[in-house]
Amino acid sequence: MQRIQVSLKVNGKKYRLETPPNRTLLEVLREDLGLTGAKDGCSSGECGACTVLLDGRAVNSCLVLIGSADGHSIETVEGLQKAGMPHPLQKAFVEKGAVQCGFCTPGMLMAAKALLDQNPKPDEEQIRTALAGNLCRCTGYTKIIDAVQEAAKELRYE
Amino acid sequence: MSENTLIGKPEIRVDAWSKVTGQAEYIADFPLEDVHFGYVLRSPHPHASIRRIDIAKALQIEGVLDVITIEDVPGEKIVGDIIPDRPVLAQEKVRLVGEPVAIVVATSKYVAEQGGKAVKVDYQPLIPVFDPVQALEEGAPLVHASGNLVSHIEVQDGDPKAGFQEADLILEETFYVPHIYPGYLEPEAAQAQWNPDGSLIVWVSSQKPFHDRHLICQVLGLPEEKVIVRVATVGGAFGGKEDSSLAILAALAAWKTKTTVRLVNTREESLLAHPKRHSGQLHYKAGFKKDGTLVTMQVTSYLDTGAYASYGPAVGQLHSEVVTGPYKVPNVRVDTYVVYTNSPIAGAMRGFGAPQANFAAESLMDIAAGKLGIHPVDLRRKNIWRPGDRSYTRVRINQAESLQLSLEIAEKEYRRLKEIPASPGKVSGVGLSLSVQTMGLGFRVPDDSAHALEWLPDGRVRLYLGAPELGQGLMTVAAQITADALGLSLDKIEIALLDTSQVPDGGVSCASRMTYSVGNATIMASRQLIQGLIEEAAKLLDVEPAALYYEKGHVVRKDRPDLAPIPVSEITSRLAENGQILKRQAVFSFPYGPETPDHLPIGMPHVLFCFGAHVIRVEVDPELGTIEPKEIVAIHDVGKIINRSTLEGQVEGAISMGLGYALMEEMKLKPDGKWVDNLTEYLLPTIMDMPPIIKTVFLEVPEESGPHGAKGIGEMGLTPVASAVANAVYDAIGVRVKAIPIRPEAIIKSK
Repeated sequence: MQRIQVSLKVNGKKYRLETPPNRTLLEVLREDLGLTGAKDGCSSGECGACTVLLDGRAVNSCLVLIGSADGHSIETVEGLQKAGMPHPLQKAFVEKGAVQCGFCTPGMLMAAKALLDQNPKPDEEQIRTALAGNLCRCTGYTKIIDAVQEAAKELRYE
Repeated sequence: MSENTLIGKPEIRVDAWSKVTGQAEYIADFPLEDVHFGYVLRSPHPHASIRRIDIAKALQIEGVLDVITIEDVPGEKIVGDIIPDRPVLAQEKVRLVGEPVAIVVATSKYVAEQGGKAVKVDYQPLIPVFDPVQALEEGAPLVHASGNLVSHIEVQDGDPKAGFQEADLILEETFYVPHIYPGYLEPEAAQAQWNPDGSLIVWVSSQKPFHDRHLICQVLGLPEEKVIVRVATVGGAFGGKEDSSLAILAALAAWKTKTTVRLVNTREESLLAHPKRHSGQLHYKAGFKKDGTLVTMQVTSYLDTGAYASYGPAVGQLHSEVVTGPYKVPNVRVDTYVVYTNSPIAGAMRGFGAPQANFAAESLMDIAAGKLGIHPVDLRRKNIWRPGDRSYTRVRINQAESLQLSLEIAEKEYRRLKEIPASPGKVSGVGLSLSVQTMGLGFRVPDDSAHALEWLPDGRVRLYLGAPELGQGLMTVAAQITADALGLSLDKIEIALLDTSQVPDGGVSCASRMTYSVGNATIMASRQLIQGLIEEAAKLLDVEPAALYYEKGHVVRKDRPDLAPIPVSEITSRLAENGQILKRQAVFSFPYGPETPDHLPIGMPHVLFCFGAHVIRVEVDPELGTIEPKEIVAIHDVGKIINRSTLEGQVEGAISMGLGYALMEEMKLKPDGKWVDNLTEYLLPTIMDMPPIIKTVFLEVPEESGPHGAKGIGEMGLTPVASAVANAVYDAIGVRVKAIPIRPEAIIKSK
């Protein structure tokens, strides 16, 4: 299979790589860049565990063919910490007990970040809508909603 | 109790930071260097004989190392969790869609998959059977040559026939419950590494590493010292990861190819091939007196365990023990049939037979209340177990008073929720149900849990936790109890990797037994560790042990109050210099005391119960038939709260799973003969499906045998949800649903 050249900016760092074109962004992140934070829960966009930000928008990276990510900017859970400081969402997920098995957590955090970047003061319904594509089997979601609200507050310096 | 105890504090999970930063390593996240990938070729047929497996073409593909079939298994070819009935890879026939037939090992997952497509299996389809009642009929297709009945559990107490003569009201109802999927977000995974000395290291995502090791050794004919099982971060389990299939296959593939092999299931494989909750038909016949007294009950359940028994016989036993609900019934007859079919395998899943029973029994109580003209709360109050009562299995009920307390709180909540008006166009209904869940594995089943503690040279303590963290918070609760017992802060406890060659056997993480068993064992080990410390310190200081005592990380000299307390690290570092390790191990054995009734088969009865009640308000759209849960109040007696945050998390998560059971989840055989095999058709509850309000109320009626009085909570939050929803639907629109999941069609059709 003919390989294609792809340029990506991932968590602020530029990458140029060669890959067969039939691979997904998720596979490239996990297998080529060693960024295994985003998880493969279903390979078909049903569970949201692979959620990353593509130009600030939450996407299921298992559904993004690598060619269509060429030239775009990607954020993953590994990029959430800045200068060693956790993102308020990470802190809130930890403190509010929004983490159990943790498999959905990276995707959940990225979907929540996409929301808070756009909407600093979401109401509960908006949080639910933003996270509707991210399955969690452990928590019942209650503490995830609490955590997103808490992080939003902190981001607003309230 | 001291003021600065850690018990009850909502301490932050010890694994939380690694999980929010993406650093926690699940098996699929392990480095890719020197790893080969396995593709498991699985049966497309629910029932077929295999005439021939042709692997020649697959072996020619560049990058394919080997193709493994049942012929390659050096040891036991057929194994099982309770009954050895399941070939490691299909042997002569397949009994379910998704049954593993061959493993292709290759240099990449793509090549392995290509290899899988190149394996030709010549199947002769056989007629399948999917219904447990039909499967017991004469002339039904035989799933196993031995017959389709796996086990028949029969228990009787009193005289049910005479009971029906006494009864003023006799009710007969049949309830239907579906096969459902544990639905952990991390699909099953395993990675096995063959070492040149012939040993294996097998990484698993599992609830039972020691059983995994046992089965791997059986299959490969290896002694246990040749196989090390290590548990990676587990991405949820809920009973479903009490299945060793993938661990065995990875070990077999690594052993055969003398390499490292990783197997990671797709979601489709996970849905089709790994154990589910038992579906079934439950026939209830119950007799009540006019005043509501429950006098007799006869229950016949048919549980579909699918193609292989898995934990089916034990599920059938626990189911049998709780079919009457938490009620005093003098005359009971229970027959539970666990039956083979060609459905997906059913085994352990959160609740282990109790949720099925609860849906039926608690629906039945409301039906009876309606017929008797008694309020559902009053009917329950009349019949619940009271202190001193025994179950129909003749077990003395522990903390029976918590049932009454739960019911009283539930009644208040019920009345409060009844006052809330429905949204426009909707009808509001409130349902209530009681819950009983057992703890532990059952009488005469090995039910020990061993754990160890080591005091390190720097004064910290390493906890060798012998049973896996699954996401539920076990590591945190265990660390909290240990830190508390040693008078240390939580950050002084580190938890060792669960490696079967390094940690003692803590048993299976299951059966609402972990907080209880692990807590007890770590408290015992802590005491022994302190005693060991004092003995060693006495030798070093050349004093009598009685001259010393331990306090919060220090050894204090009674004989020399003028001397400063000695930090433990000063003692343990000296020991380390001498090559000594200060380590103690303790085993907690589940207390099946001399009064345990012994008239039942092995595995019965369970002797500790957990109680609770749920009250649910739903809104039903009478036109569309949709049901929207609006508020849930979950009341549970936990004996003692160890960590409020993880405790709430267990209950809230269980409620979402219970709502899925009540309203949407079903492993369904589609009209085209295929099972649902993706998350578009198999619906798991999303954040949109959760009610706006979930209220948890915890009672703390101490269990004297529990650590600080604590009991289990892992399963109980799920058990009463479906019945409470069904009772709420009836309350709203007068439609009695006797089958779950309750779909809008059922509501509209019944109107």
